[in-house]
Amino acid sequence: MTVASKPAPRATIDLWRWAGRAFLAVMMLFTLLPMVWMLLTSIKSGFAALQFPPQWWPNEPTLASYKKLLDPTSSVGEDFLRFFWNSLFVSTMSTILSVIVAVPAAYAFSRFDFPGRKFLFFSVLLRNMFPAVVFLVPLFILMRFLGLMNTHGSLILTYLTFGLPLAIWLLKGFYDNIPYQLEQAARIDGASRFQAFLLIIMPLSVPGIIATAIYSFIGAWNEYIFAYTFINRNDRLTLPIGIQRFFSESSSDFPGLMAASFMMSVPVVVLFLMLQRYFVRALTEGAVKH
Amino acid sequence: MTIRPTEVPARATARPAGVFRRAWIHRADYLYVLPAIVVMLIVIAYPVYYTIELSFYNTPPSLQLRDKIFVGFDNYAIILGSDVFWQVTLNTFIWTIVSTGCAYILGLGCALCLHRAFPGRAVMRAILIIPWVISAVAAAYIWKWIYHSNFGVIGALLVELGFAGRPPNFIDSVNSVLPSLIVVNVWREFPFAMIMLAAGLQTVPDQLLRAAKVDGAGAWHSFWHVTFPHLRGVSIATILLLAVANFNSFIVTWIMTGGGPANASHIWITHIYEIAFGRQRWGIAAAYSVILFLIVMSLGYFYVRGLGGAEKEGGAS
Amino acid sequence: MAHVVLKNLIKTYGGYNAVNDVSLTINDGEFVALVGPSGCGKTTTLNLVAGLTSLTSGEILIGERLVNDVDPKNRDIAMVFQNYALYPQKTVYANLAFPLQMRKLPRDEIDRKVKQAAQMLDMTHLLERKPRELSGGQQQRVALGRALVRDPAVFLMDEPLSNLDAKLRVQMRSEIKRFHQDLKATIIYVTHDQLEAVTMADKLAVMSGGNLQQYDSPAKVFANPVNMFVASFIGSPAMSLVPLTASTVDGRAVLAGAEGWTLALSPLNARKVQRATSSKVVLGARHSTIKLTTSAVPGAIPAKAYTVEPTGDVTFVQAMLSGAIVNISVPPDVAVEADQPIWLAFDQDRMHLFDGATELALKAD
Repeated sequence: MTVASKPAPRATIDLWRWAGRAFLAVMMLFTLLPMVWMLLTSIKSGFAALQFPPQWWPNEPTLASYKKLLDPTSSVGEDFLRFFWNSLFVSTMSTILSVIVAVPAAYAFSRFDFPGRKFLFFSVLLRNMFPAVVFLVPLFILMRFLGLMNTHGSLILTYLTFGLPLAIWLLKGFYDNIPYQLEQAARIDGASRFQAFLLIIMPLSVPGIIATAIYSFIGAWNEYIFAYTFINRNDRLTLPIGIQRFFSESSSDFPGLMAASFMMSVPVVVLFLMLQRYFVRALTEGAVKH
Repeated sequence: MTIRPTEVPARATARPAGVFRRAWIHRADYLYVLPAIVVMLIVIAYPVYYTIELSFYNTPPSLQLRDKIFVGFDNYAIILGSDVFWQVTLNTFIWTIVSTGCAYILGLGCALCLHRAFPGRAVMRAILIIPWVISAVAAAYIWKWIYHSNFGVIGALLVELGFAGRPPNFIDSVNSVLPSLIVVNVWREFPFAMIMLAAGLQTVPDQLLRAAKVDGAGAWHSFWHVTFPHLRGVSIATILLLAVANFNSFIVTWIMTGGGPANASHIWITHIYEIAFGRQRWGIAAAYSVILFLIVMSLGYFYVRGLGGAEKEGGAS
Repeated sequence: MAHVVLKNLIKTYGGYNAVNDVSLTINDGEFVALVGPSGCGKTTTLNLVAGLTSLTSGEILIGERLVNDVDPKNRDIAMVFQNYALYPQKTVYANLAFPLQMRKLPRDEIDRKVKQAAQMLDMTHLLERKPRELSGGQQQRVALGRALVRDPAVFLMDEPLSNLDAKLRVQMRSEIKRFHQDLKATIIYVTHDQLEAVTMADKLAVMSGGNLQQYDSPAKVFANPVNMFVASFIGSPAMSLVPLTASTVDGRAVLAGAEGWTLALSPLNARKVQRATSSKVVLGARHSTIKLTTSAVPGAIPAKAYTVEPTGDVTFVQAMLSGAIVNISVPPDVAVEADQPIWLAFDQDRMHLFDGATELALKAD
């Protein structure tokens, strides 16, 4: 079926299409150019980076900055690799814990009808409203009181709570879309309520769990303000703080800084690109579909 | 498991007597949410209480709590009487509103352009998402380098193309620092809006779009009358999440300028951080936090309404 | 197999009774259909029997055992759901094996039982597939199979056919009926489709508004509906119900229509009408018990054809009487046209009379 009566819309559609393409092209440049410049700078020598006008393309590309960062025998490399490991440990632990805590909570909010259910759910959502700074001083005191200053435990505990609200919200949307007859069937088939959850519903919510995990991991990996406040010992620093520490000492080593920024971004970008379809699916099926 | 009835008349009358009995019947259900609640209580309820308490005291820089002195509302009076407070407040609102608006519009544009399938779409989408995923610290350093007043690439480009005699100051000038930081922030945030809205676009029923086409609607009209109304829910959620994130954002400003020059780029969070951990005036910082908290809570009403929309009942009301 | 006894079941949501004092006895090996419009409480009743919903008051016995506080898994029941509720991540084989695994049966016995059930339902070739790769009818069969492997005391079926298309529904209807005959199983079957209920079940439990209206064999429910709701719900096309006024003409009991005609009553029917609480009486007649003629006949009521619907082997004629539509079936060779005058003769032995105020069927004694 066509609306053949009007020749004009054809031209309008073309106009829109070209406008769309132009817009996309601009956005691609806006997104890519800063990252390209980061990469180009990272393969320059420290001297070449500080030239005016800049070398648009490095005259003598070098991987020296990367070698330095990844060389465990040099002091810079030793620090960098340790920061990297610290970040990995903290992020992984808080991700695992937040999944363990968020999954049953989201399931209960989706399925059960206990008094206070709505109140608790909205309190959880409301958490996201609190600015981090509100927590900073008291948590600083709390961590000092618990003897957790300068430990990764302080960060894991904090990141856990900060990822929870969105994780619970995302997962609840996911559970809302699984027909409750599946649990009924499982319970009649001989499963207890918890078994029905564990054996039938959990496996079905794997995409949602993956999405939640990505979100928690990226949040923890990139977190700055609490790590900046809670951790002072050099051997416990996470990447964002560590990088800041050792580049504030030599503020002109821009190739080193760009290489470190690149290395810091690689794990989360790779992780996200590998698993992004789960994330998009969780959003489509859970959060967005009202 | 109990199936919730769709229509429950007379529930309100039945409630007061039975709430504890019902809670007892459902006691096993609480086990599922208990871990989440406990963690939240430790790391959220306690700090909120503590911040409010601290805001009424003068606490020594050493943060020795036994030496604190009760000062009533003095801390609040000091804050509201200072010029910096009003400047920072203005900065915060500009920062939040402009960042949120731009990120939403750019995200919407990208979502719309990427909705129809074409070769290379997946790659483009993946690339556009990257700024959101990479560490904010990394992003801040990249842009700090790009804005560098002597060797920054934008300045150099402007000089090379003849737009400027010498590289302009972006983040070292009182006038341009806030817009420059907002650009960075939008760069980091528009992909989030894009993902949310792209997900929302998938729920727009094809039949409606076809009906609009048959009814003679052009691209603009079918967007405005069909697609956009369908995105209402997602848009509200996205804008609220962005606004809250911007209100609470710290890293970009802190790393790139530390709030300077001359407080021109300070927003509440960075300012409070500096008062607390820079000048160790804990009481003032706490009072600031409480004020901020009250403002955010008034926004929170809409936030809960927006995110909890599916639940209809609205626990905040 | 076992019998099931429901005693005074009540389920309250807030202040509202979804199931209101329902009592039923289902004998061993019987196929009972809970039938009624949506929201009548039939699915809630089934969930109460399954233990998926908690009882407000009353007693449920399966076999001789009181199961009020027994977990669903220990009630020795199996259930088939409207949306099949197959576990999407499991293969057909794993779906069938799941209830047996939950009962910790040895692996070789599970294998044997699954294969046996698959063979019985003719789906051995589907065992390795996932539910989403199956057609609606095949999914339905898997759901039946999953109930079957358990060898439960009672089968519960919640609208198992309503997600299927019309043709498949007829076919599955006979399969389930065959299944019941072969297994001599006790089945409680929920449906809103009265045709399904009438064709399959040994007994109908007609429900409305949370109340059990009538519980009897399909033939008896059809022949002697206890009230106007049951009369209009069971049978297709629905029984015509005409509101009339009882009066006497020359000392004989008659029913008067709004158009001014009167219908003389047989002595038995006259006695029934005398028992009505007011002069308002509703006449019920099924399409096949009304004789239509195109010319005046003594005792017949004059009317006008309203619409004529030929279906091939029978033609349905609708006429208006006292503001109600009356449905009459005639052989296809009877030529009737819309707006043509017709005469309707009611069969005194097969007409139903209801009290216009209480809506209950009127009895002679």
